[in-house]
Parts: sequence; structure tokens; C-alpha cells
Amino acid sequence: MKTLMTVAAALGVMLMASTSFAASAEEVMKKSQAAFLYQGKDFKVRVTMRLVSKSGQERIREMTMLRKNFGEPGGEQKYFIYFHKPADVKDMTFMVYKYPGRDADRWLFVPAINMVKRIAAQDKHSSFVGSDFSYEDVSGRKVEDDTHTLTKEEKLGNRDCYVIKSVPRAGDMDYAYKLSWIAKDDMLPLKEEYYDKRSGLYKVFTADETKVVKGFPTVTKRTMKNLQSGHGTYVTYTDADYDAGIPDSLFSERYLRQPPRKWVE
Amino acid sequence: MKKFSLVEFSVNHPRLVVILTLIVTLAFATQFPKVRTDTNPKNMLPATSDVRVWNDGVEKTFALYEDTIVLGIVNERGVLNKETLEKIKRITGEILELKGVAARDVSSFTTIDNVTVDGGMLNVGPLMTSVPETEEETDKLGKTLFENPLFIDRIISRDGKTAAIYVPLEDGSNGKEVADSIRGIVSEEKGDERFYIAGDPVARDTFGNEMFKLMAIFAPIAGMVMLLVRYLMFRDLFLSVTLMMDAMISIVWSMGLLIGLGFPIHVMSSMAPVFLMAIATDSMHIYNEFYFRYRENKDRKAAIIETMKAVSRPVRNTALATAAGFAVLMFMQIIPVKVFGGLVAFGTISLRVLSFSFIPAMFMFVKEEKIDRIARSEDIGSDRTARFLRKLAGFGIHRPGTTVAVGLLLFAVAVFGITKIRVNNNLVEWFKKGSDVRVADSVINRNLGGTSLGYVVASAEGDEYMKTPEAMRYMEGLQRHLEKLPVVGKTTSVVDYVKRINRVLHDDDPKYDVVPDTKEAIGQYLFLFAMSAKPSDLDNVVDYPFQKANIWVQLKTWDAQAMREVINAVEQYKKANPTPMELKPSGIAYFNLVWNDEVLWDMVKGFILALIVVFCILALDFRSFKWAVIGYTPLLFTILLLYGVVGFVGKDFDMPISVLSCLSLGMAVDFAIHFVSRLRQRLKETAGSEPLGDALLWTAGRPGKGIMRNAVLFAASFAVMIFAPLTPYITVGAFIVCMMMLSAIMTIIYLPALITLTRGWLFKGDMQ
Repeated sequence: MKTLMTVAAALGVMLMASTSFAASAEEVMKKSQAAFLYQGKDFKVRVTMRLVSKSGQERIREMTMLRKNFGEPGGEQKYFIYFHKPADVKDMTFMVYKYPGRDADRWLFVPAINMVKRIAAQDKHSSFVGSDFSYEDVSGRKVEDDTHTLTKEEKLGNRDCYVIKSVPRAGDMDYAYKLSWIAKDDMLPLKEEYYDKRSGLYKVFTADETKVVKGFPTVTKRTMKNLQSGHGTYVTYTDADYDAGIPDSLFSERYLRQPPRKWVE
Repeated sequence: MKKFSLVEFSVNHPRLVVILTLIVTLAFATQFPKVRTDTNPKNMLPATSDVRVWNDGVEKTFALYEDTIVLGIVNERGVLNKETLEKIKRITGEILELKGVAARDVSSFTTIDNVTVDGGMLNVGPLMTSVPETEEETDKLGKTLFENPLFIDRIISRDGKTAAIYVPLEDGSNGKEVADSIRGIVSEEKGDERFYIAGDPVARDTFGNEMFKLMAIFAPIAGMVMLLVRYLMFRDLFLSVTLMMDAMISIVWSMGLLIGLGFPIHVMSSMAPVFLMAIATDSMHIYNEFYFRYRENKDRKAAIIETMKAVSRPVRNTALATAAGFAVLMFMQIIPVKVFGGLVAFGTISLRVLSFSFIPAMFMFVKEEKIDRIARSEDIGSDRTARFLRKLAGFGIHRPGTTVAVGLLLFAVAVFGITKIRVNNNLVEWFKKGSDVRVADSVINRNLGGTSLGYVVASAEGDEYMKTPEAMRYMEGLQRHLEKLPVVGKTTSVVDYVKRINRVLHDDDPKYDVVPDTKEAIGQYLFLFAMSAKPSDLDNVVDYPFQKANIWVQLKTWDAQAMREVINAVEQYKKANPTPMELKPSGIAYFNLVWNDEVLWDMVKGFILALIVVFCILALDFRSFKWAVIGYTPLLFTILLLYGVVGFVGKDFDMPISVLSCLSLGMAVDFAIHFVSRLRQRLKETAGSEPLGDALLWTAGRPGKGIMRNAVLFAASFAVMIFAPLTPYITVGAFIVCMMMLSAIMTIIYLPALITLTRGWLFKGDMQ
């Protein structure tokens, strides 16, 4: 009887340990998301995306991205994107209302026919403007949608990292699991590896350069490489600015049609 | 004579010669474990060939796959019902997990991108994310499917009874293995649906696989048949086995050499053993003559030496002619053709070396009384075969005019037949009617756009041109023009996406199912599409700088000629509608066309070269141009007749047939050499005491029997192939059986007739 109690107690302790371990892994992911995608009240940046195919062909996407938080980290956000390049899509604008727990609303303005069109929410893991980043990679995935475990802690380069394994709770994701290296100091993700059931590692994210902007550590160069297709996307952030005072009214159909120069230049 | 001494050496030291032969054979056999095979007929052209480099470039530019398997799902009640759709979803899911499948670009109901508008909301995403539960949902899916021209004839048939899943393969994966896995997946499904698996990689890899199996089965069977026929001819197992060994040893030598030199065994070289076995039958003449000699002489050793003296010249020269016929292939362009030519030439030479060493040596081990018994049956007067052959020759000798006239008539008919020959190659038709591969292909081709895929690549001078309305409208016009061809089932290009988006953005108004008027609108539509669609959707049809566009042309047949029709139609359209764009063909269908042309014409060129070389050898051998012309006639006649029949029957002149032309030449010439050499020898020996007619009859009866035996043996072993499940083997089998019998008969009838007719000319200034 006594031994049974001891075993039960031991089991209990182990169980608690593992749950607290899991909870802390989830904490890390939440903090990382806050640091990566919710820094400041608002954020303005010029984004250059270089899409490179296996054979070395290149496509450039250049846009101004405006982001504003409407709530806590992990909560509602609005995005306003103005395209500069390629040349024939100049003046195209794209707007996203992101809600926690339900599908985002999206609108697109097509200047050639002067039309704003709502775009249905869909696969969060479909490609963002033809890049190797999915919509989810750009605007974030709900932390609770995955089970996170801390697999180890190790140095990546010269920085101490948590290595967290995230397994989707629902089975319809592209990946079977993901490993993230989260820097202990600024909580930014330095590397992510995506694995699928069939062929193992197939997609790798790396944060290649981090700068501190208005006190916020910001990833200014990042890469996503698809190892299966050989396609890669290289992203550079320039003119990043936080708390610029983006007005709420900007995120409207009216400004989608006529984006104010001040914000998109 | 040097060769002569080899024979003497062999009969004096039979044991040593046999042991030496076996040691050399073992040395070649040690190379066998290093064997590599290459079953891919695509490798007939080197990776550096223009067409492969160009196709690889196109594949890279447009992120295309070299090979795609098509799975057709047929339900006579229509595929748009919950059960069938669930199966499609389940099967797609399982296919995505298969090794070797490029999962990200599998096209099925659940993975293909669709552009729709619903209540003012634009939707770009997979056609079917979940299986419809209610009838309304199913109807809605049907409506979506049938209103989008990108889907009709591609993933759904017009009658709604056939759905398809397109499974692209990663580079280097084996089409047959993936197809077998897919077969495993669909065999789990129960219900009314029938499943069909088609596509070039299935046909190609299945063929490669079957071919090696067939070679492993048919080469030994052919060997056994030869052994049996020989036994029936000579009633002596030991000598029959000796003859067999002769063939086997040369096969081991040449295959050992091939493997040792590091060449992979290829589609063509895998045929070499059967060819060598056939060529080995030429040693029949040694046996034939030996028994006659022994009967006259009763001394084994002397009989051998005399036999070799009598037949050495023709045996040596036939070998030379055969070897030369194949060796010319070494000067061709296509590497496997070269290797094949060299391989068979080497094997033929080896066979002859064995004929002068190993075979005489083996004769020394046969018991005298046994030889005696067999030899007694070999009498030119009493033997039924010999009598029959003399009768045949007699016909030629006594009615030379009639014989030649009939020949000329046949010749005219044959030439007419040859003009009707259609040059074509169809990989799928290499399988028998009713075989899985062929049935699947015809079902899918009947119901959908087609399993064979070609591309027309448009390239402009500068970037961005493909976004202009004029480029778009040009491609649209070209597509409609190509679709008029009966062989074209469907075409797809970037224009189809642009028109689709234009219509959808304008609330599905059919008025907008057109190319928009400005480059900006086109650029923005494509950008909009690319914002949500799979990257490959656009990558497959336009390159990154929009300088090139790719029009997909689905063909309803694997005929190499179908792509030629497409190319001609493109040229025709371009002539009528000038454009700054360059239009070039590509894709697997184009590859098949080029491959077919190159291999085929290489073989034809080789054949013509062989004809010349063989004629020269004949002339040198007979030391007479006139005799060469006479000896050449039955050979040429046989080949013309056969190809005439090919033309009349309507059999495509394809690769297997073209390969055969070289063999037929190499073999048929043997008979003429034997006949003419022995006749002239006889005339010399009898020194005018025997009239020409009698000498001809003697030749027809004695060496003629060897010719007939050779032909029967040869034909018997190849007849086995008529029962093969792959049509090229049936063709080869039937062709060779006909060729051997025909050329033997031609030699026996026509040579006497021609010689009788032209005796004045032939013997002018000669010994008579």
C-alpha cells in the first residue's frame, strides 16, 4: 500500500512536471509571438521580397506594410499593405483584419478596374503573394492551435535558445511538426524547421539580421527556403518605425482606394 | 594459312583448347556481378542531347515535371456523389504520402486551385476542401466544376462520369513503382468505380521492367528450342550441347566485356544475347559439312581438318559480313545504338574464333561410332531434305525466266508496299490490346483531354511582354487553332487564368470571359491570383519575367506523329498570323517525337551504310563484282519483300522494325556467301567435268541443307517470341521467322535461276 502511494505520488510529480514544462513552452511561444508580431502600438515598414526559383529566376515584391494592434498580444490586429512593385501592380492595396479565434477579413483594391473586392478567408497556409511565406507565417498562428514542448536548450551561433517542438492539434496542417529556436534574450525566433510525415525537413525559416528600432528588437532580414521545390524567399525590412501614430481610419475601404501618401511613401 | 593452323592446333590439343576457352570465359564471367541496368528508353538519347537540354531548361523555367501519372476514376452513374467524392479525397490523401510523388503539385479535386465569386466575395483556393454532405452542396460543386474551363476535360469529363488525379513525379523516381503503389491504394476501394492508371512513366517503366523479364525468360527458352531442334537434326546430345555452348560462351564474352567496360545494359543491348544465339547458328555449316566429309573419309581428325578447309572461307566471310553489318552501327550518333553494334560485332568475331578452335576441339571428344551413325543418314541422294532442296533449285535452273519474272512482279508489288510505310512510334502500343497499360490509356484518352503532354513555348524579345493583351490574344487564337486538330484534346495557358479571373471579378458575367484590354489589368489579375493560389499554378504557364509563356497541349494519342501535327499547325498559324514571339515545341510528346526520329533514322542510316559495306565484303570475298551483284540480289529481294509486307499490313515502321533491318541484312547475306562460295569451290574441284546445272544441284543439296538447317534453327528459336506479351517482341519474332525462311528459299531458288540466266556474263573470262 505504501509503495503504491509512493508510486502514485511520484507519478503525480512527474505529471505536474511535464504539464508545467508544457505550459512554460507555450509561455515561451506566446512571448515570442508578442516580440515578433505585436511589438509597439503600431508598426510601419518597407518590405522587399525577393522570390527566387530553383533555377535562379527572380521576382521582386515591394510593399509598404502598416500594422496596428487592437488589443493584447495575440489579439486583434489590422494590416494595410500598399504594393510598389512589380510596376504593373503599383497602387494595388490589400487590407486584413485579423481576429483571434476566427477567420480574418481581407480586401483587395484592383486599380486597373477601380474595384475593391473582398477576398474569402482560406487556407492559412497558402502562399502569401507567391512567396514561400504563408499568410500564417506573416501574421502569426494562434499559439493554442499547437501543442508545444521544450525539447532542449542550446546555443545557436552565440545566442542561447529554447528549442520548442510544436505539433498541430488539428491534422490538416502542411507540417507534422515544427522546431523553433527562440532566443532567450529578446524572445525572437532565430530559426524554424518544418517537418512533414513523408520526407522530413522541408521548409526552413531563418532570421538573418536583427536591429533595435525605437528600443524594439526587430528582425530586419529573414529567409524562408522550401527544400522540396528549391524555391526561396528573401525578405528585407527597411525604414522600420514603431508607434508612428497610424490612425484607425486608415484601415477602411476609402483609403484602400486612395492610400494617403504620407503613410505609404 | 594462319586460321588453318588454329584448327590443326585445336584438333591436336583438344583438351588444352577447351580448358583455355573455359578459363577465358570464366574471366569474362567475373565481370557479371558489376552489372548495371538502365531500363529507361529515354536514355537512348544522352542527357546532353539538344532535345533533353532544351526540355530540361523548359521544365526548370516553368517548374514542370518530366513525368506525370494520370489516375482516372470512372463511375457510370457519375462521379459527383458522396461516395465517389469521398474516395477521391481519400485516394488523393494517400497518394500525397507516397514516396517519389511531388505532393505539392498533385492535381485532384482536393488540391487544384479554383477561382470563384460568391456573394461578392472572391475565393481562390482548392476546389473541394470537404466532401459535400447534401445534394445542394454536391450540385454546387458540379456547377463550379463545369463552369470552369480549366477543369473540364482535365480533372472532370464533360459527361461527369470520369474524374482524374494528376500525379507528378520527383526527378529520378520510378514510374512503375509509384503506379504499383497507386494500384495498391485503389484496390482497397470497393464500389462501382473503376480505376485506370496511365501516363508515359507508367508505360515506359513498365516496358523497361517487362523487357528485362522477357529477356531473362525468352533468351533461355530460345536457347532450349535451339538445343531441341539441333538434337532432332543430328540426334546427338553432346554435339548439340557443344553448339549451344558456342553461343553461350560468346554471350558471356561479349556481355562480360560490356559490363567490364562500365556500360549499363540498356534496352538495346539486352537484345544482344538472342541475336548472338541466332548468329551462332552459322556454325551449323561446319556440322553439316563434317558429316558429309566423315561419311566419305571415315577419319575423324582428317574430316575435321578437311571440313574446316572447305567451309573456312565462307564461315570466315559470313562472320566478317555480319560483324561489319553491326559494326557500322558504331559510327552512328546514338550511344546505345553504337554500344549495341559494337557488342554484337564483338560477339560475332568471338563466335568465329570459337568455330575454328573450340568446336573442332570438341569434335575430338565425340565417339567415332556415334559420328558414323549420324553420318550414314547424311546422303545427298537419299536424304529427303536434300531432295526437296534440289527440286527447288531445279525449278530455278530449268525455268530461270519464269522465276525471275515472278520475282520482278513481286519486286514491283513490294516497292509499292514500301511507299505505303508509315514512320511512327507509339510507346503505349508496344503493349498488347487488352493490357492494363493500353486499356487505361484508351479509357482516359476517350473521356478526358489526353494523357500525352506536349508544350508550345512562346518567348518574346523582352520581359513583361506576356502580360500584354496582344500576346494574350495571340496565344488564345493559337490555342483555338490547335484544338481543331483531332489529336489535340485540350490546351491550357496563362490566358485561361486571366479570362477566368476577369469573369469572376465581374460577378461571373460571361461577357467578361475575354482577355482584358490593358496590360495593367492583366498584371493585376495575375498578381491577385498569385496572392492566394499555389505558386506552381502560374509558374507552370509563365516564367518569372513574363518573357516566356507555356501552352500545354494534351494529346489523345502517344503517336510520335501527333506532336508533328501540332508543330505543323503552330507553323501554319504563325505564317498566317505573324508575331514577334518565337514558338517552340517541348514536353514529353516532343521528346518522343525527336527520340523516335533520331533513333529510327540512325538505324536507317546504319542500314544503308551496312548495305554498302556488306556489298564490298561480298565483292572482296568473291574477288568478283559480278558474283557480288548476283549474291546480293536474293538478300536485297528478301528485305524489300518484308518491308513491302510491313507497308501493306499497315504496321508502323517503328524502332523495333528499324533495328531488325540490320540483323536481317547481317543474316541473310550468310546464305548467299555459303551458296556462292561452295558452288565456285565445287566448280573448281570438278574443273569443268560437271555441268553447271549439276554443280548447282549439288550446292543446293549439300551446303543448301546447311542453309536450310540454319534457317529452320534460327526461325524456331525466334518463333518463341511470337508468344511474348509485348508487341515489339512479337514483331521481332514474326519478322525474323519470315526473314529466315524467305531468304533461305530465295537463295536456293533465285541464285540458281540468276546464275543460269547470267552464266554467259558471269563466267566470261572466268575459269570456263
